[in-house]
Amino acid sequence: MIRFDNVTKSYKGQPPALGGISLEIQKGEFVFLVGSSGSGKTTFLRLLLREAVPDTGAIWVAGRNIGELSHWRVPSLRRNLGCVFQDFRLLPNKTVTENVAFALEVIGRPRNVISNQVGQVLELVGLGQKGDRMPHELSGGEQQRVAIARAFVNRPLVILADEPTGNLDPATSQGIMKLLDRINRTGTTVVMATHDVGIVDTMRRRVIELDRGRLVRDQARGVYGAAEDMTTSTRGVPAVAVAAGLDRMLGAEPTTGRVAAVRARRGQR
Amino acid sequence: MAVSFEYVAKETATNLWRNRMMALAAILTVAVSLSLVGTALLLRQAVNRQIGQWSNNVSLQVFMDASASTGQIANVRSTIAQTPQITHCTYLDHAQSYEQAKKLLASSPTAIEALTPATTPTVFRCQLRNPSEAATVSATFNGGVPGVYQATSPSQSIRVMQQVTNVLQVILLVIAIVLLVSSLVLILNAIRMAIFARRREVGVMKLVGATNWFIRVPFMLEGLVQGLLGALVAAVIVLLSNLGVGYLIRHYKVSVLGSAVLPAHDLVVTELLVVLIGLVVGVAGSSVAVRRFLDV
Ligand SMILES: Nc1ncnc2c1ncn2[C@@H]1O[C@H](COP(=O)(O)OP(=O)(O)OP(=O)(O)O)[C@@H](O)[C@H]1O
Ligand SMILES: [Mg+2]
Repeated sequence: MIRFDNVTKSYKGQPPALGGISLEIQKGEFVFLVGSSGSGKTTFLRLLLREAVPDTGAIWVAGRNIGELSHWRVPSLRRNLGCVFQDFRLLPNKTVTENVAFALEVIGRPRNVISNQVGQVLELVGLGQKGDRMPHELSGGEQQRVAIARAFVNRPLVILADEPTGNLDPATSQGIMKLLDRINRTGTTVVMATHDVGIVDTMRRRVIELDRGRLVRDQARGVYGAAEDMTTSTRGVPAVAVAAGLDRMLGAEPTTGRVAAVRARRGQR
Repeated sequence: MAVSFEYVAKETATNLWRNRMMALAAILTVAVSLSLVGTALLLRQAVNRQIGQWSNNVSLQVFMDASASTGQIANVRSTIAQTPQITHCTYLDHAQSYEQAKKLLASSPTAIEALTPATTPTVFRCQLRNPSEAATVSATFNGGVPGVYQATSPSQSIRVMQQVTNVLQVILLVIAIVLLVSSLVLILNAIRMAIFARRREVGVMKLVGATNWFIRVPFMLEGLVQGLLGALVAAVIVLLSNLGVGYLIRHYKVSVLGSAVLPAHDLVVTELLVVLIGLVVGVAGSSVAVRRFLDV
């Protein structure tokens, strides 16, 4: 689904923000991108979105070398990538429904398709009853759900999330992670940059760690820090306990008919 | 992908409304400058028509004595034929000359009464290779050629008037161009502000994969509408002023100025030109704004 071939990127007059990155992410994977501030996580995501182009190396998304993509094909790349950010980026003068519908309107989807898909995705993120609210009438967690709904409404192949829980308390963050996990289980690849130790340590998914632009760790079912940190959590709660709680929550979540339907549609593509 | 007409129309209308003060300033400046452009063009056409009528495109007239003999007339004709500065001449006999005089003197009946065909001098109306040679050429005929009453070139006053209107036109056009440039800048700025006001929407649009044209078209259209509205206001102003002048000339029976009223055809061409310039200014202003301030 995603392949980096020896990718380097530096901004003017600075040491490389990314240096010699090579890696591959399979369809349907859930990947955490970790590393200290300034290690290049956001740059990694911006390259995927083609908001920036690599200095050297090549990036492949769904079989296309996106560095060679002509200018007018970039929109079609982005239609396959859903984005979620720390600061939600909702349009303040549009309702929840309008915010999500906007993503489909501006790519020219017909109106009946829009109302159908928007209704479905709002149910999926658990905001079926709040479609008429304005963003400022929602909690941070709910706003992030709207942002996720907007990113997912066009059924992208990949969701890119840059610190999506960065502004949320731990309980709300868990809710968001539950939602992203659910979306991942429909077959959507998820790449998430994060500093949230608790989440990474409890989800136990693939972890890619960057350090000053270098890939220093790529670990299946990994944790946030180095291996010896596994048993401790930053908040003084044993990571194992948090993991158990989250696992129970995720495990107890029955696969709903809607998710199954989305999954089925994915399979057909 | 088809750009939804409804979406674009809605976006453009909302943008214009949100930015209405800026839009109004831009529209009015376009209107004022294009009114000047239109007026200058009409003035030019009217003056040219009127002067053409007065002087009949003649740059030299050789009036014969009313009593000049056929031989003298033939002499003058051959002199004319041998003068290289003269390109073309027509001879008006007594009857033709009388008709012409009646037309030119329509506003003073007493002067016409004093004339009869027999007392009206016959005349050679000539075109010169170069009108500035009129003085030299007329001097050769005024030097006591038998049978010649007088050779004249179009009166000084017509030439002065021509020069004054030329200067006036240049002034009007210069002001109009300055105003056109400022209206272009105003439109550019209005679009820039619209882009700034909608930077969040634009950000989301890019993120979800809206095409460049889809993002740009509403802003381009906004500039075009501003240019068009200004041009339409200007077109109405030009039309009204033309009607007003025509009405005054007819009402006060200033028949010497009769030719200054333009035929419908000239007016329509001028109006179309005004609208076209308005569209160009609107599109130019918004394309520059979109190129500079909307990095898609
Ligand atoms: N637009 C830019 N212009 C110049 N330098 C930049 C730009 N964006 C990022 N950088 C630099 O590139 C390096 C990597 O930044 P990046 O934003 O990718 O880090 P990050 O891992 O996302 O950090 P954080 O965890 O704080 O979000 C940093 O040194 C940063 O200063
Ligand atoms: Mg970052």
